[in-house]
Amino acid sequence: MAEVLVVDDSKVMRDMVVACLRPYPGLTFTHASSGLEAIERLSLQPYDLLVLDLNMPDIGGIEVVEFVRGQDRLRELPIIIVTTRGDEASRARALAAGASRFMTKPFTPDAILAEARGLLEGGRA
Amino acid sequence: MSASVDLADFLPAYLAEAEELLGTGHRQLLAMEVSLRRGVAHPRAVRELFRAVHTLKGLSAMVDVEPIVDIAHWMETCLRNADRAGGRLPQASVEPLMEGLREIEQRVRQLAAGKSAAPVPAGLLARLEALEVAGAAGGGGVATGGAAALALEEALASRLSPAEREQLTTGVTGARRAVRLDFIPGADRAASGTTINTVRERVASLGETVKVLPLSGPTVGGGSLTFVLLVLTEASDAELQEAAGGPPASVRPLVVPATAEAPAPGLEAPGVLEEEEPEESRRSGGTLRVEVSRLDEALERLAALVVNRSRLSRAVAALTAAGAPTRELNAILQENARQLRDMRTAILRLRMVRVGDVLERLPLLVRGLRRSTGKAVRLALDVGDEELDKAVADRLLPALVHLVRNAVDHALELPEARRALGKPDEGVVRVATHGRAGGLLDLTVSDDGRGVDAQAVAARARVPMPATPDALLELLCRPGFSTRDAANATSGRGMGMDIVRRIIVEQLGGELALETRPGAGTTFRLRVPLTITLLDALVFECAGLRYAVAVGSVEELIEVDAARLARPAGAGGLCLLERRGSAVPLVSLARLLGLAPGAAQDAMGAKALLVRQRGELVAFGVDRLVGQQEIVLRPLEDPLVRVPGVVGATDLGDGQPTLVLDLAALGLARGGKPSRREASAKAERYLS
Amino acid sequence: MTVLHVVFKVAGAEYVLPAADVLQMESFTGATPVPGAAPHVAGLVQVRGRVIPVVDARARFGLPPVERSLDSRVVVAQLGARVVGLLVDSAREVLKLDPQQLKPPPSLVVEGAHGFVKAVAQVGPRLVMLIDFPRVIGEETLDGDGQR
Repeated sequence: MAEVLVVDDSKVMRDMVVACLRPYPGLTFTHASSGLEAIERLSLQPYDLLVLDLNMPDIGGIEVVEFVRGQDRLRELPIIIVTTRGDEASRARALAAGASRFMTKPFTPDAILAEARGLLEGGRA
Repeated sequence: MSASVDLADFLPAYLAEAEELLGTGHRQLLAMEVSLRRGVAHPRAVRELFRAVHTLKGLSAMVDVEPIVDIAHWMETCLRNADRAGGRLPQASVEPLMEGLREIEQRVRQLAAGKSAAPVPAGLLARLEALEVAGAAGGGGVATGGAAALALEEALASRLSPAEREQLTTGVTGARRAVRLDFIPGADRAASGTTINTVRERVASLGETVKVLPLSGPTVGGGSLTFVLLVLTEASDAELQEAAGGPPASVRPLVVPATAEAPAPGLEAPGVLEEEEPEESRRSGGTLRVEVSRLDEALERLAALVVNRSRLSRAVAALTAAGAPTRELNAILQENARQLRDMRTAILRLRMVRVGDVLERLPLLVRGLRRSTGKAVRLALDVGDEELDKAVADRLLPALVHLVRNAVDHALELPEARRALGKPDEGVVRVATHGRAGGLLDLTVSDDGRGVDAQAVAARARVPMPATPDALLELLCRPGFSTRDAANATSGRGMGMDIVRRIIVEQLGGELALETRPGAGTTFRLRVPLTITLLDALVFECAGLRYAVAVGSVEELIEVDAARLARPAGAGGLCLLERRGSAVPLVSLARLLGLAPGAAQDAMGAKALLVRQRGELVAFGVDRLVGQQEIVLRPLEDPLVRVPGVVGATDLGDGQPTLVLDLAALGLARGGKPSRREASAKAERYLS
Repeated sequence: MTVLHVVFKVAGAEYVLPAADVLQMESFTGATPVPGAAPHVAGLVQVRGRVIPVVDARARFGLPPVERSLDSRVVVAQLGARVVGLLVDSAREVLKLDPQQLKPPPSLVVEGAHGFVKAVAQVGPRLVMLIDFPRVIGEETLDGDGQR
């Protein structure tokens, strides 16, 4: 049983991510449509996995990662960053900020599922 | 279950969102063009356009539409440079960017028609690439006008882009101030509807939010997070503080007036930033923007009043039955019922938008189509002053866009062909409203084109000739109908009609009908409800069926640990779980719903939803949580299915109605209440 | 003057409804059960975007349930503002009936069909029964706030 926070301003993208991860048993999903909403939710409730878009209207994924890593409570939270070709510079910054994994669009359902599995099960062991 | 999710299934949703993003793109680009002509930068439009294009690129990559990815990529590069240059973009960039949007739009349409997206035209990428070079070269020489100082600690100031800093320092004009508003989120605040989302909405009605920065660190009240909103506003500190939920929110000035004294150099004339205000906020003096959640809250309060009123009328009926003189009471009750109805209508009206405003985008669409198809076409908007719920309008527009686009693309003949038929060169696509009655709005989308060739449609679908217009429409709306081949030009219709029907009929619960005369034209009749009810819902599975409940009604979601359940003797087999030191009765929802009458008592499900039932917490055991999503609530009006605990139904996309439950009401209607109380008492002892 | 009727079968017997009242016929792929509804309510189905209740004719007529088959149909009928489906074993034919042909039902039929048969008609060798649709869908129990 694990709670996943899926952050993307595109609803289709959030739905796709959820569909990709759904085969993993016992996941529950919460959507956030902006970086700010994500930060607020993270500060109020524990999650087991964060799937994060880099490019969002208010604050970007990097700032969310920086926030997460700045919190003792969230230091271990696994983060999968979803990026697009052209985001390479931001990618490096996100990595420096402490993102766990990257998925560059387009990715296959199996690929993100495998990353999620690794992070969720690795965290338990 | 295997991981074989096919992302191609998301194509319809992708197309709808692409449509929206293109709409945003067009609007921002037009705004940029207007600003550029006046020699002014428009950093926000640049940023918004950049984001729309970037999102499109990512989504297109996911559903594997390489040509759109390529076009979007180069547009994005050019826009990124412009953003870095404080939103300045060479005039010469507008046309290639416009062309880029058009090319993307065309490919979205091809996809909607079941074709594959055409490769990128050779010249376009070169032109976009050239822009990038020019942009990069010109980028360095831009003055950032950062003369005025920001009263902001460096940690925050460094997180602002040059454009944002410029916006803040130059945005101070007349009564308009630049301030920082600190909002501290919290669980209790979130529960009462004050979240960063609602605060942003409220602040948006008071001024322009340039940036919101999250700030970690201990806060008043023991939190660890503060949101710093940087706002240009004429509102008072008190109003702003109120918008952020009152203290501990605080307001501080951001730009020191002394430095703002000197007029900004060069291009920035006073009032420049007004260009950026969304038009609707300034259209008429007497308008007010209110976030929808506040209206929903008012409706909820009203619902409580209505419930109370029915209690009152039952009490009066009892009095009447006992022979008391209740004539006047009854008259008052009747009057009261009417007032409540009027009140409800008044609240719902606040959410209404004018149909005319909804259709604002269509002329732009037709203008673009005129250029891309080479057809002479006039859009006739024959729209009254009808109003629609914003939620309906947001869904209706994409359907209308599809229909108008189909009409131009496939129904209208080319000018020569029209002339040969004795028709005027210029075709007419008409979108008209026909008044509203019984809570429904009638619209038509008609054209004077070639009409739908039923025979060709039947041949393509390999079925007998449809006998009625309804049957013909049915064929056109078959999912994937248009994917058979490229014969659309002869059949005249079929582009994404399944999406249109999905929106109008399945989502909105409306009606769609078709009238067509070969050679003379086609009319689509749409009937949509004026209002729909949206609900933020938790979807879960129980005994193999899916159900939804309003998120707001659920206090907590917990795991059920079967080993830690208490089953006190004499409690009617009821289970109890321990929650923060007190015992909470756990009810198997499957049993409550009569879905698992024979199931073992301890088959309680893996998750439980905690709901307050008459003030007491009750846990409802369910099998699996599916997720959280916004649903369209369809009330159940037929007396056969109006039962306590069932609020309505919704379509989660599988074509089967999914019940929306009110767990508290369901528990009260179907659960054994007294035994639960007893059990509770017993369990307190048992657990302590 | 003949009136078109839709013919459907329930447990071997043939019933009719005026075609004017029938909106459409749909194959049956299952209904969403509604807890707390009457036992003869099979549940909800979505027909052309409309969410409508379905009455199981067998349950309503007090007949034993059967496994639903490919022949099973939902006869969607309109009664005033209400649209309700009737789940039947099969429905695949329409029949022209002269109102003259319709006779009051023999008492045995009335009893057997729990009063849901309004009239019967002899059509060649076949006996078809006109059902009292309002009664089948419980119109008589409609309370005051049923209109809205």
